[in-house]
Amino acid sequence: MAILLLDIITTASILFVVAAGLLIVFGVLKIINFAHGGFLTIGGYAALVTTQLHWNPWMALPVALLAGLVLGAFVERLVVRPLYARPLDAILATWGLSIVMVQMITIAFGRGTNFVESPVQGAIPIAGDTYSLYRLIMLGVAIILGAIMIGILQGTRLGLTARAVIMNENLSRSLGINSGLVRFATFSIGSGLAALAGALITPLLSVDPLMGVPWLLNAFMLVMVSGTSLISLGAACLVLGGAQVAISTYSSPVLGALSIMVLAAVLLRIRPAGFARA
Amino acid sequence: MPDSAALACPVRLPSQRGRTERRLILVFSVIALALAAAGPLLLDTYSISILIRSFLYGAIAVTVDILWGFTGILSFGQAAFFGIGAYALGLSVTQYDFTAPIVTAALIGGPLVAAAAAGLVAWLGFGPKVTPLYISVITLVLSVIFVQMIYSGGDFTGSSSGLSNFDTFDISMEGWFRVAGVFLVAVTAAGWIFVRSDFGRLLVAIRENEQRCRYCGINTARVKTLLLIGSAIITALAGFAYAGYNDVIAPDLGNFQFGTQLVIWVALGGRGTLIGPAVAAVLIDFISAWLSGSLPFIWQLIIGLVFIVVIVLLPQGLGPAVANLFRRGRTRPVAARLAPLPDADAAGSGALPAIQVESVSRNYGSLHVLQDVTFTAGAGELVSLVGPNGAGKTTLIRCLSDGQERSSGRVAIEGNPIGRLAPEACVRFGLGRKFQTPNVFDALTVAESLRIARSRQERLSFVRTADEVRLPAAAMRVVQATGLSSQLGTTVKHLSHGAKQALELAMVLAMEPRVLLLDEPTAGLTKSERSLIGEVLVELVRAHGLCILLIEHDLEFVREISSRIIVLHQGSIVMDGTVEEVTNSELVHTIYAGEPHAVAA
Repeated sequence: MAILLLDIITTASILFVVAAGLLIVFGVLKIINFAHGGFLTIGGYAALVTTQLHWNPWMALPVALLAGLVLGAFVERLVVRPLYARPLDAILATWGLSIVMVQMITIAFGRGTNFVESPVQGAIPIAGDTYSLYRLIMLGVAIILGAIMIGILQGTRLGLTARAVIMNENLSRSLGINSGLVRFATFSIGSGLAALAGALITPLLSVDPLMGVPWLLNAFMLVMVSGTSLISLGAACLVLGGAQVAISTYSSPVLGALSIMVLAAVLLRIRPAGFARA
Repeated sequence: MPDSAALACPVRLPSQRGRTERRLILVFSVIALALAAAGPLLLDTYSISILIRSFLYGAIAVTVDILWGFTGILSFGQAAFFGIGAYALGLSVTQYDFTAPIVTAALIGGPLVAAAAAGLVAWLGFGPKVTPLYISVITLVLSVIFVQMIYSGGDFTGSSSGLSNFDTFDISMEGWFRVAGVFLVAVTAAGWIFVRSDFGRLLVAIRENEQRCRYCGINTARVKTLLLIGSAIITALAGFAYAGYNDVIAPDLGNFQFGTQLVIWVALGGRGTLIGPAVAAVLIDFISAWLSGSLPFIWQLIIGLVFIVVIVLLPQGLGPAVANLFRRGRTRPVAARLAPLPDADAAGSGALPAIQVESVSRNYGSLHVLQDVTFTAGAGELVSLVGPNGAGKTTLIRCLSDGQERSSGRVAIEGNPIGRLAPEACVRFGLGRKFQTPNVFDALTVAESLRIARSRQERLSFVRTADEVRLPAAAMRVVQATGLSSQLGTTVKHLSHGAKQALELAMVLAMEPRVLLLDEPTAGLTKSERSLIGEVLVELVRAHGLCILLIEHDLEFVREISSRIIVLHQGSIVMDGTVEEVTNSELVHTIYAGEPHAVAA
């Protein structure tokens, strides 16, 4: 039981880390970044490169974050900016982008599955059982990440302007806020977070060019039911991630893999605002 | 007078264009069929085998284009329907025998299952209050579910390796080439006729402005549901043919990536052009197959890059861009003629009040926008609703025309309680609503817009375009007096603000409503247009016994035409009386001026 609870909490943490970048991009830019999975994959491969260079495994995190930030900045300028007025087209263009990223990775690294060195090994004893230390670290990472993001949104000037743009972009612009800059920064940070998430999850999983797709789909559904609130995202990750763990444990892993998508889809039909306050 | 403008730019009738186009389709179809027949003689075996698949994909791309390019439904789920059709054959044949009854059952059962899945998706995705993005979400989920079901099917579905080497039709490769070719030509030609028909223009109207369609009394959710089901059936048939020819089927056929690939082909070929997506699908799939051996990843990379460039820089796709290079001169606009309808019986029932509002309230959380509003208005009354900004006038109109809007209270139109009914159902009680800002179909012509408004009275054809738009006298008068009659072939987005206002009013009048809700119908109109509209409204009330509820800020205009005035302030009715009573009232001056001292001064 304790293990199940830990599984639920750590799974929710991982989902939160993966979906957070997508959420802030959706909140500020009002577009779904379908290249989120591509950036996540890039983060995974950043970790792989770190391993291959025999660097300290922790170095994977800054390397991935930096790669995501820089790539995201380019992508915003070249692809996303012209599509602000066409949100459905932005989904398609960013999906095209993720195809390009996946193909480039395939050309550079091949199609095969690779493994990354974990920065920490082993398990620690909890309630008469042992539990993966890395998964517990992910819980801490999610809490710290959430706290930093909420801190930035609530406590800094960038956060204030970002919230203004989220609430009413036209008004913000007429008040002299450079919403273009806010979007640029947000998209870049969102991409950086996606890559960081990719580097964070790889010690638990393997790395391959298509690793981003299932994460993208789950993160997408979680963001759909969370609207633009990090708190709602946390709640959605706990409830739907919890359902995924429970269904995988007691029923079948196949159903478990579907549970986030199906439950989110049904929830959206019943309550379009999802976990967000209507 | 309008005729001189019409002469300067001669307008063709839809049937004339229709005849030319039909001839063109016939010629193209014959050529395409001849190519399908001759293809096997000219091409090498490898090309033939690839093209069979490409043709099937081309037909699916046509259905994606009708859904997305024309109607605005971005579906990633066609892949799942394709997979369902393919597995219907594969599973039936591996589980039973390859006999005529089994194969026929698969041929009918696959599309039926796909149709049921599409119906479920539509029920989820086209429900009230859901965002347009939701249908994309739910079709995407469908693809993922399909693949997971195949994976978990064990030996029954062949899991990840799929099914292969099952018994199949004894048809030569050349035969399959012709079957697939005929299928592609048939789907494309039928699709072309469908989208060019009057009903096809309704699809564009739904894409452009679904709300307006619903207020024209059209059940858009049903139209979209039927469309999705139709596309699922066609796609499942393609899947059936694919399995029959290929003899190998894998879960990949139904996955989300294939769904997005179809969307990419449509975008590259040119959404909303039908031919473009079909050509793009066939070409890209064919070239991909050729290049998959030599440079597989580079080719995918190029497709991805081109796709991004096209979406960003050429949203219309490559097809139209290429076509524009060859197009010379302007094409003549096409528009139907106007024809007057005989005057309908002026007799309103009179027995029941036209509008009956009983203690209607509307809250947004703790904010009370409307509180306990009660009034009735009868046939032959022109009631003006006045009040300062934020008084709740527009909210009241919304509560009268959409059963979901009010928080409490009862509303009846011509004696029919609207309950929680959707706008399209309220409209059927004889309601017509004109919005505050022009709410029209930007991509349609004036004539097409008027026809959509008439679609409840005169059914839209699935194959033809009618030459006449029949309008009742009131709508006709607005159209003629505002000069719209000389702009019948003009695309609405090119109209001036005032002309759009007039068009929306004409569209509402074309529906022959018994109860008219007008939210500032003359905003942005010239003085003369405004008095003309005033005349039309007064005549509708006097001669035809309509009931009109009008929101206006111009008190002079209100005074001239109203038979009664209701004053709304902070969500409540503060006065309900004759024109004299209200205009002489101290209270009204106070409310409009903001504070009592202003009146005294």
